[in-house]
Amino acid sequence: MKTKLSRILTLLLAFVVQLTFAQQKTVTGTVTDESGVPLPAVNIVVKGTATGVQTDFDGNFAIDASQGDILVFSFVGLQTAEYPVESSGTLDVTLKADSAQLDEVVVTALGISREKQSLGYSTQEVDGESVSTVKSGNFTNALSGKVSGLQIKKNTNFGGSTNVVIRGNTSLTGSNQALFVIDGVPINNTNSNSSGQSQASGNYYDYGNAASDINPEDIASINVLKGAAASALYGSRAANGVIMITTKKGNKSKGLGVTINSGVTVGSIDKSTFAKYQDQYGAGYGAYYDSEDGFFYLEDINGDGTDDLTAVYTEDASYGAAFDPNLLVYQWDSFDPDSPNYQRATPWVNAKNGPITFFETPVTLTNSISIDNGFESGSFRLAYTKFDQSGLMPNSEINKHNFSFNGTFDLTDKFTATGYANYIKTDGLGRNSTGYNDNVIGNFKQWWQTNVDVEQQKDIYFATGRNISWNPASSAAGAPPIFWDNPYWTRYENYQNDSRNRFIGNFSLNYELTDWLDVTGRIATDTYNEQQEERRAVGSVATSFGVTRGNVDSGYSRKEITNTETNYDLMLNFNKDLSEKINLAGIIGTNIRRNEFQSIWASTSGGLIVPGLYSLQNGRGPLPRPVERAEKLGVDGIYASASLGYDKTFFLDATIRRDHSSTLPEDNSTFYYPSVSGSFVFSKLLDVNAISFAKVRANYAEVGNSAPFDYLRDTYVVNADIGTSVANSKKNPNLKPETTKSVEAGLEMKFANNRLGFDLAYYKTNSIDQIVAVPVTTATGYSSKILNAGEIQNQGVEASLFAIPVKTDDFTWAVNANWSKNKSKVISLTEGIDNLQLGSFAGGVTLNAQVGQPYGVLYGTDYTYIDGQRVVDPATGQYIATSDSDNVIGDTNPDWIMGLSNSFSYKNLTLSFLIDIQQGGSIFSLDQYYGQATGLYAETAFTNDLGNPVRNTIADGGGYINPGVNPDGSVNESRIRTDRFGAFGYRRGLPQSEFVYDASYVKLREIALSYNLPKKYLENTFLNTLAFSATGSNLWIINKNLPHADPESGLGSGNLQGYTTGSLPSTKDFGFNIKAQF
Amino acid sequence: MKKIILTLIAAVVAISCSDNLEDLNQNIKDPSTVSGESLFSGAQKSLTDQMVSLNVNTNNTKLWSQYLQETTYTDESNYDQITRSIPRNHWSAMYKDVLKDLNEATMIINETTYTTDELNALKPNKLAIIEILNVYAYANLVETFGDVPYTEALDINNLTPKYDDGLTVYKDLIVRLDAAINNLDTSLGSFDSNDLIYNGEVENWLKFANSLKLRMGILLADVEPALSKATVESAYGSELIMSNADNATYAYRSTDPNTNPIYVDLVLSGRQDFVAGLTIIDKLKSLEDPRLPLYFDPVDGEFVGATIGSTATYASTSKLATRFNTPTEPGVLFDYSEVEFLLAEGAERGYSVGDAETHYNTAIEASISYWGGTQAQIEDYLAQPEVSYESALAASEATTPWKEVIGTQKWIALFNRGMEAWTSIRLLDYPEMATPTDAVSGYPNRYTYPVVEQTINSASWSAASSAIGGDQPETMLFWDVN
Repeated sequence: MKTKLSRILTLLLAFVVQLTFAQQKTVTGTVTDESGVPLPAVNIVVKGTATGVQTDFDGNFAIDASQGDILVFSFVGLQTAEYPVESSGTLDVTLKADSAQLDEVVVTALGISREKQSLGYSTQEVDGESVSTVKSGNFTNALSGKVSGLQIKKNTNFGGSTNVVIRGNTSLTGSNQALFVIDGVPINNTNSNSSGQSQASGNYYDYGNAASDINPEDIASINVLKGAAASALYGSRAANGVIMITTKKGNKSKGLGVTINSGVTVGSIDKSTFAKYQDQYGAGYGAYYDSEDGFFYLEDINGDGTDDLTAVYTEDASYGAAFDPNLLVYQWDSFDPDSPNYQRATPWVNAKNGPITFFETPVTLTNSISIDNGFESGSFRLAYTKFDQSGLMPNSEINKHNFSFNGTFDLTDKFTATGYANYIKTDGLGRNSTGYNDNVIGNFKQWWQTNVDVEQQKDIYFATGRNISWNPASSAAGAPPIFWDNPYWTRYENYQNDSRNRFIGNFSLNYELTDWLDVTGRIATDTYNEQQEERRAVGSVATSFGVTRGNVDSGYSRKEITNTETNYDLMLNFNKDLSEKINLAGIIGTNIRRNEFQSIWASTSGGLIVPGLYSLQNGRGPLPRPVERAEKLGVDGIYASASLGYDKTFFLDATIRRDHSSTLPEDNSTFYYPSVSGSFVFSKLLDVNAISFAKVRANYAEVGNSAPFDYLRDTYVVNADIGTSVANSKKNPNLKPETTKSVEAGLEMKFANNRLGFDLAYYKTNSIDQIVAVPVTTATGYSSKILNAGEIQNQGVEASLFAIPVKTDDFTWAVNANWSKNKSKVISLTEGIDNLQLGSFAGGVTLNAQVGQPYGVLYGTDYTYIDGQRVVDPATGQYIATSDSDNVIGDTNPDWIMGLSNSFSYKNLTLSFLIDIQQGGSIFSLDQYYGQATGLYAETAFTNDLGNPVRNTIADGGGYINPGVNPDGSVNESRIRTDRFGAFGYRRGLPQSEFVYDASYVKLREIALSYNLPKKYLENTFLNTLAFSATGSNLWIINKNLPHADPESGLGSGNLQGYTTGSLPSTKDFGFNIKAQF
Repeated sequence: MKKIILTLIAAVVAISCSDNLEDLNQNIKDPSTVSGESLFSGAQKSLTDQMVSLNVNTNNTKLWSQYLQETTYTDESNYDQITRSIPRNHWSAMYKDVLKDLNEATMIINETTYTTDELNALKPNKLAIIEILNVYAYANLVETFGDVPYTEALDINNLTPKYDDGLTVYKDLIVRLDAAINNLDTSLGSFDSNDLIYNGEVENWLKFANSLKLRMGILLADVEPALSKATVESAYGSELIMSNADNATYAYRSTDPNTNPIYVDLVLSGRQDFVAGLTIIDKLKSLEDPRLPLYFDPVDGEFVGATIGSTATYASTSKLATRFNTPTEPGVLFDYSEVEFLLAEGAERGYSVGDAETHYNTAIEASISYWGGTQAQIEDYLAQPEVSYESALAASEATTPWKEVIGTQKWIALFNRGMEAWTSIRLLDYPEMATPTDAVSGYPNRYTYPVVEQTINSASWSAASSAIGGDQPETMLFWDVN
């Protein structure tokens, strides 16, 4: 071993020496294509060394080499050519079109490389660069708009989870997230968010999705397997499509390379996604308090024995007294002796510093180094990335260390070992609460006093370290807050933190039995442990917390999760030309998968004894029973695939997989997934010059899902408090697997020497025998029953288009567009049940799968109508909403989504931008439902039809007339009172449907300007490449219809979408990045 | 090298042939068997929590009885039962958390062979006590909703149980209650410490069951007079709850999550949601009722009630008295005072259950002394012309004066027992409830059916809705005929 190490070191040294000192002659020349057009950016390498250059924009190159060296010329889409260095020192080279362009190789299921032209199904590739240029901390966000059929929904939570769905939701209540695979091995992408989190209750956090651990710098390319046929070899977990990630590896032909990458991204708040307040009225819910006008309390604050005009400090609304700078009022800041305004009245005015001043500038730093090398018998790549991100909210940060190693080593000329190891440590702190309590943004967007100055809240918190809130329960100094803590207290005292240690690795051996047959064995694991700590400081507003969800002012909660997946694979690969024209390739393999998940969650009860000490032994009450989970899953699969190719023109593929799953009853636990696909490259038979490539494809596949853990046998619940209970859900010992049957057809064409092309796909999937916890009337004694029930159908069309409208020596303009439309429909549920409630959110809105409707419709109250006119109660002027809340008030599915990217290259400068569009889809805004009621928004203080402030009393000419008719059909002429809270929001007749908005958007998602320093400036340095890029992401929401929030905002990833409450504003992120290679 | 490969193949094949794969699918953290006794305890806790709570998501009856008023968010005071899905939460608590667990407890106890003959001999008592709570819970569902799933309920193989006629159910419950009473053997024990109400004392359960029977009999007075009379008289002839010591009270503990739910909402939540309702404050003040300072705390020496349905300021309105801020305040399922009031009603209806005035006086005495009033206060109070039975009757302008007199005093005594108070108000139509300023419906004579029933048990729901005369809050239930 020692000698081997020293040999490697010597080798390394040799390269360095060679790099630095070797002096040879300079070879110059021009590279052109077959038509004589000079080719820029052709890679030229001295074979067997790391020395390499690129042609400039005139196709010229100059490289130092010795006579007898071989120069290797390579360019994407063209045949690689090798020329020996002649004595002349000049060399003009013509590169021929690669017969294919056509032989483009993509990575398919199980990590098997295939010629793309032979595939009878739809896949779409994205290169690593396009997910690493713009740095968001979660590379899945960067896929948005880049792949047709792939819907990415990035919510605005700090470090939050991103929803990744391919071709619609196929499972009613199971996971619909795409499967992530690295170098052929599946990795975990669950989010550990609680069901409370996903339904917007309480103080919960979005802990992100595990795929965000993957370092975008390590990704060479991503291939999205969209349909069931593409992913069928993954059997029972293929139903949702696959995101195949190929990692960067050392390159044998390039030799030693070192890449250093350093980037900084700075965010600024997108004001259109935050509340814009009215500026005329301050604290209160109406005019019913102690003062003569009813808007103020009367309390003796300054101690002179007479009552003073005091702001209604207990209230969290802005439906109070009109601002008047001449009116002096005692406010929250006059109650505490430590406050500069103690016992002093201040003018009754709109706050100088509103909540927008609460936000900080988010900064992301990404620094990485990678070393890769190739040598005779192998190659490796070693990389380290440090990622540091601070958030929009005070006291929030995420730090990641990512180490990765990738290596391959030829043990003999037939026996190769490959390995991959990735260790990731992620630490998060101060994630934003996504629910109702402790959610500072919900506070700002729903319940706030516009007279409160946020800077003063900040100053008093930092000056005293106490929870002096704008919202105290009484005017006594030191009174606890009633509804809301000082927002800085929330951020600096009641923050959560989490850490995850993760290892992903695989080891494989490949042996070439003959030139057409090889065998691969692989062991892979993905394991992490995660700790989530949540805390509430003594003196906070009481809220439900911890295991028992009891109401406490303080507490500490800790959850430990370990999650491991191990895969064992053995594959026989064959690829044989049976005759000159007939090729047979295929695989026979077996996969064994084991998953183990464990968690333990414990928390204090009854508050903390010692303030500031966050430990389980510091609980005032006895430690409630911790919640423990232990889940094991196993699937044993065997599979085979065969591909028959004729003359590189006709291809026929068939796959079959048999899975034996641990989660189904023994009689039903073994099942088969077949697929068959075919493609026909008809351009081969056409002799049309304009058509460079044309292919039709079609396939049929069945994939499926087995049951989740423990769906078969009933267990009881040991109550947190007293006794035991029957579980809420009735298990089912007779389950069978879910099945998704899909058909797909596609057409792919390229024209004009591959400068224009499109790929069209149509698909239809029907997912049957869904394994669902069907909600049942609790009169059965249960709230749900596990059944094989229901069918969802998804039908869609996808189109990808690329064009290179301009291509000259110096200038290239390339366009890419991806468009997709998916239509889902719930065909059936179970006998007698035509609606399945998927989630129930704060505010009473529910998300449902209703037979005959798309998957995921919002239910709530609606207007009542007579002949299409809204009905108004003449007694109050209020609308009459339906009393039932099972009206369909929104469909959360977009009509279509589209990404349009343009890239302009001029010499070494490239400018690209991506516009991302979602058309349609509904979103319910709890912010507007409550925030308009509490009079926060500008929409609640306007001049009415009579020319008066709308908030005047009716007697004073206020209020307005709701357009509509009375129950007798006559036109409404009654004026609604708007001098008290609720008229504009949830309270006085407006149905929930009023607060459902169109979630369409047009966003300038990414813009990047890159500059590669021309080689000539690097000639006398050790650098090979020096590139700069300036990026912008989410710079401009060009169009949206959801007020005061980002239409992409939501609670987290998962099936429950179309709802927003207290979501963080989005940021416009500006980045700058330097990349050096040497 | 081939050796390595062969070894690898052999290893993988060996692992893939594991034939006990299904064994992985074991939940090793939750019990697959539990004792019937532990289920019984769980059901008792769920039942008491649900009856006692004043949480706006759980139980609005203390608002609807106008004992309390909300300060800022006044929706529930204004009879809004939809926004917070109160009916659904009540329905679910009663069926899923109470009746189902009782049902399962019955099944398990039936199947259990205990270690000794002595323990086996306790089975009939245990089953009878469970049955008594079954009747209690179902009776509450009928009193709350009207027609409810009964004969087809609690069967997970029937996902669309029909709703049965409320009166038929109620009659059947009385039959079941009689059977349970007959099965109680007071010479033996029962649940011991697993019984968090009576600690297994069978004698107490007998009193409880007869008192329940008395209440159920009275409820039928206007619709089934003969059955009502027979039931009430039969209960009167047996042992009833005869003192406050016999009260059915659940002993809450001092720490979360085992405290009285009222403590959670008043103290732990840190909120200032509830203040005194004007209706009860006015009444207690006008009667100079000694319970006024026992129920409420004054503000600056004054008892101030909030206008029903309107927003109110917390600081300047009376709040519940400090005893309600105690985590261990017992949860009451039945008390002596109610028994005496029921007997007074029975007497006024002409049943042979003794003298109305005597029962009336005893009831008031029981209530005041339960809340901590003195004997002198009781005597003074009973001597007041507005309280003294005969003079109060004479002063009443009601069509049926005893309904106003008994109804008013019963309502005062049922303070903190929202469910029973609400039922009494509906049955006797006294005292009159104020119309809330922003009422979204007329006085709620019932909980509307859970909205979710419209979607998951639609046909049964619509049949029941038309059977009871419409799924509206104002719909009068079968027993509420005048």
